[in-house]
Amino acid sequence: MIEPFTRDGDKVVVRLSAAEIAVLEDLPELITRDRDAGGRLSYTAHPNDEAAEGRYRDLIGDDLDRLRSADRAAFATRLEAKELTLEEAEAWMRVVGEARITLAARLGIVEDGWERDAESSRDPEMALLGYLGYLQDALVGVLS
Amino acid sequence: MTAPRTAPVDTPDTDERAVLDQVWQVVVWNDPVNLMSYVVWVFRKLFGHPEPEATRLMLQVHHEGRAVVASGPLEKSELDCHRLHHHGLWATLERV
Repeated sequence: MIEPFTRDGDKVVVRLSAAEIAVLEDLPELITRDRDAGGRLSYTAHPNDEAAEGRYRDLIGDDLDRLRSADRAAFATRLEAKELTLEEAEAWMRVVGEARITLAARLGIVEDGWERDAESSRDPEMALLGYLGYLQDALVGVLS
Repeated sequence: MTAPRTAPVDTPDTDERAVLDQVWQVVVWNDPVNLMSYVVWVFRKLFGHPEPEATRLMLQVHHEGRAVVASGPLEKSELDCHRLHHHGLWATLERV
């Protein structure tokens, strides 16, 4: 089996098939369609302190949205690249993770142990969730 | 002769200073989606933990539902929390 990613010094070599790239092309749209993944991607730092949370929101502004958008742009524009910089590979890893969180929210996954059911599932979104986990783990491997 | 005018300095009031001077801890909560390997990588990347410590914290999150991954003044802790959010981890802040 061909490894999807291998490390070559300060580069990550990408070996994805055309079919895999076609699947991955849809991830940015999948994420932005379910913008906050049922609340899972709407983070709070001070969940029990409204005033502190308001001050925190003023401090960070739209920085989180801007960073995520930059990650998705790095992902979309480099999908057919044969090599990634380490920074680009990290952005890919975050986008794949964001897509997994979004898919999990759509599938109603709220607690551990769902993987057992996933193995026998025929749901294409469950299959995509599993595939993205494989890809993210491979990226972790080459970036560690 | 007049003294040079000085601009008023915006100093935090006592309550605000007390909040800023407190030690806060950054708590990461369990979620069923993020990969264990990815969470270990994030802890190593953001906090410089050696792999055994990052793995210990990840397992604490997984088994106990939460773990304190960093602590410090409010501004630093909020930045840590923001970086964890950017990496898709569920993190909040608590006063020590």
